[in-house]
Amino acid sequence: MEKNNTEALNWVGKRVKRIDGPEKVTGELKYMTDYQFDNMLWGKVLRAKYPHAKIKSINTKKAEQLSGVVTVLTHQDIPGFNGFGIVIPDQPVLCSKVVRCTADAIALVAAETLEIAEQALELIEVDYELLEVISDAEKAMLPTALNLHPDGNIHSHVKIKNGEVDQAFQEADIIVENTYYSPRQMHAFIETEGGWGVMDEEGFITIRCPGQYAYRDRMQIARALAYNPERIRVISSPIGGAFGGKDEITVQIYLALLAMHTNGRPVKIHYSREESVIAGIKRHPFKVYMKTAAKKDGTLLANEVRAVADTGAYASLGGEVIALAIEHSCGPYKIPNVNLEGFCVYTNNGIAGAFRGFGVNQVCMGIETHLDMITEMLCIDPVEIRKKNVYHQGEISSLGHIVKTSVGTYKTLETAENCDLWKNREKYKADVSEPWKKRGVSLATSFHGIGMGVGLPDYGAASIELLPDGKFLVAVGCEEIGGGNGTVYAQVAAEILKCDISQIKVVQGDTSKTIDGGTVTASRSTYTGGRAVAAAAPNMLKLLTETAAEMLEVPASKVEVNPNRIAANGSCLTYQSIFDYLYQKRKQTRVEGHFFLPKEKKEIEGSGGAPHHIYGYLTHVVMVEVDTLTGETDVLRVVSIPDAGKVINPQGLEGQAEGGAVMGIGYTLFEDVLIEEGYHKTRNFTDYIIPTIRETPLIETFPVEEAEHSGPFGAKGIGEVVMIPIIPAIMSAIYDATGARIKHLPATPERVFNALKALKNENIQSAR
Amino acid sequence: MMRKILFTVNDAPCSITCHPAKTLLDVLREDLDLTASKECCGKGECGSCSVLVNNEVVCSCLILVGQVENQNVITCEGVGLTPHLDHIQESFIEEGATQCGYCTPGIIVSAKAFLNDVDYVPSVDEIKTALGGNLCRCTGYSKIIQAIKTAAEKNLKELGTV
Repeated sequence: MEKNNTEALNWVGKRVKRIDGPEKVTGELKYMTDYQFDNMLWGKVLRAKYPHAKIKSINTKKAEQLSGVVTVLTHQDIPGFNGFGIVIPDQPVLCSKVVRCTADAIALVAAETLEIAEQALELIEVDYELLEVISDAEKAMLPTALNLHPDGNIHSHVKIKNGEVDQAFQEADIIVENTYYSPRQMHAFIETEGGWGVMDEEGFITIRCPGQYAYRDRMQIARALAYNPERIRVISSPIGGAFGGKDEITVQIYLALLAMHTNGRPVKIHYSREESVIAGIKRHPFKVYMKTAAKKDGTLLANEVRAVADTGAYASLGGEVIALAIEHSCGPYKIPNVNLEGFCVYTNNGIAGAFRGFGVNQVCMGIETHLDMITEMLCIDPVEIRKKNVYHQGEISSLGHIVKTSVGTYKTLETAENCDLWKNREKYKADVSEPWKKRGVSLATSFHGIGMGVGLPDYGAASIELLPDGKFLVAVGCEEIGGGNGTVYAQVAAEILKCDISQIKVVQGDTSKTIDGGTVTASRSTYTGGRAVAAAAPNMLKLLTETAAEMLEVPASKVEVNPNRIAANGSCLTYQSIFDYLYQKRKQTRVEGHFFLPKEKKEIEGSGGAPHHIYGYLTHVVMVEVDTLTGETDVLRVVSIPDAGKVINPQGLEGQAEGGAVMGIGYTLFEDVLIEEGYHKTRNFTDYIIPTIRETPLIETFPVEEAEHSGPFGAKGIGEVVMIPIIPAIMSAIYDATGARIKHLPATPERVFNALKALKNENIQSAR
Repeated sequence: MMRKILFTVNDAPCSITCHPAKTLLDVLREDLDLTASKECCGKGECGSCSVLVNNEVVCSCLILVGQVENQNVITCEGVGLTPHLDHIQESFIEEGATQCGYCTPGIIVSAKAFLNDVDYVPSVDEIKTALGGNLCRCTGYSKIIQAIKTAAEKNLKELGTV
């Protein structure tokens, strides 16, 4: 039967309710940290007392003698490789000779109760010799600086050059040049790191711990334990929020090590918020110098960027973060002459790693603010200058490569200029809530790569199994991180299998039940996982059709796949009867689907993986109100206009857009983990303020669906770009309201107030 | 010093023997296997552990079990269990107000308590004030606000038809 392309879709593109909704709203869903066992032990981690010190000795004797302590472990108890890290495993599991930040672990304890475990930590004696603390990334780069790692403090250096920058700056009509500083944001997932580990009588280890790639977590555990990974099961889903913060190993290796020493008793670790703040990775603080040149008509001519990222004591994904930042540092524009470089630098300031946006947040504020400055100097429209400079599909980007996949920026800008907030902005700005408050409206646009860059393996995989009750079990490695990818997988499967969505069960993130399909990161899980399900489903249809043909003794071409049943020659077969037939014949009831992400053939030399093959795009329009007496800024309205390709679930997409916008507000206005001389000054949610419901503005989401044909039903990705352009949009709206440019985030009341004061002084000076 | 403490949880009498200084949250999670209530900050900042004590919303991480002796405690499980969901729970699903879901039970409890006190569809500002003590990092709260409105409408409709 020929497939009709214009056939209406039943599930894809619909506001399908989350399949995990009922168990989440009742609290029946068990997260890893919710399991309890009668014979369970509590695990605790001893952290470094100082941010940089030599370890002269570790004495655990007193702790071991404490009644109720089952085991105390140090570096000497690690059977395999004492290190972890997604790319370069330079972080010790348990430190032996030196500690490089207060997140460093030195010893592990398992005890009968949490209180005994905590008491045991206090009995472990560690003799330190203090070393100089490197707390400034630029100072760490100096040749005279004390080296934190054998290869020096510069973990990575990436470069992209294109065109003739010097000449372009000479020919330019306008040049803007500024330096931007960005904060150390905390993921602040509501579920802190935790889980449990157990080893059975045969030495099989099970680790239940929320994570963003079960197979890689298993590899890292196996490497530290010198253990056959096949004898380790990692269950990593569901996750109580991650945003990149559970991409790296959290407690998995600690749990596995302890489980080897507890005589089969399960061990649980669950960080307190205070421990999570210190031990967990953060977003890299950046210093970004940028110089941008344009012609009188607003055409961008050149861009020069030098970004320095503070990755803290260990690499994690720092090298990749700076590479992505540099790749995206010119925005979704075609700037013919660029000279871009970035450094990822070790310090003793905790550890930084993956976080939603992955470096793009820190650079988009530069290019977008520069566009607004140029706009103002030339008296041109901020939408027009962007429309003039954006690249379209098939055009050459600032990196010098042809963008072959879907590009929706232009459409997002058209939607922005036609939205109510933008069209009627003068009216809304005049409507201030108090006479001393001022309103501003601004917009910004950005983009984000989908999937891994050049040089990294990137593939999706899914399996579909026909179950005895006639339902289908869709299994995908990508974890349910909260975004609703499980519902997306069910929608894609139901669409292709022509069945009701209630016929689909989904399992995710379990090395015993799902095949390796890569990470839930890089805005890739809808695109990659969805595409893998879309590759597996036709195989299931084929299995159903061929089995039905055999059962009914008709040629397969006579079998019709109707909604929720299979028919031929006037007889109907239920899925259940097909399962029974296959089972009796001892035939396979499970199929697989595999998908390799299309990639660019050539890496830009020295770029660390650029360019990406596919990007998602987004424009934000925001309105702020600034209190000129206190410097406090409220974001009142947000319009989010994403190009995520075909939208599989509009409700899920809005959820991402709204959550991303509010996280972007927190980043721009108040979030920052303060570390002074290597010590965290931020401890908990008492002094790290994330947006509450009271900070939620009115958020509208208007997707433009620029279909990407390699994706499932034309979908791309959405998870990261949703929090990016809102950052410069807010910065610019503050300027629109008050005339103050904030280049150092977060734009706290203090910073805004001081900027307003400086502005006032300037005006007085110039009036004299 | 263990002690026997009697109280009511989700309308059922309950007796546990433990140290009276154990937090209500730990008793619910560890002794009663009621794990809808979560610990996130342990300081009363986030509302993930919200339960009702005599119909008032409290952070169960800040209450000691001795304090609820002979009192009436309702957790998210007591608001409704599958498949018999409360209007507020149904509305959270319909409006897409849950994502990772870890904060959801605490928010359901706070929202339920708020809706128990209103006999009209509350304004956005009223909802924001009532839910100001519950943190969520995924949703941006917009759909939570909408879900509470939808639930209020359902409650009113049901009252009208009684």
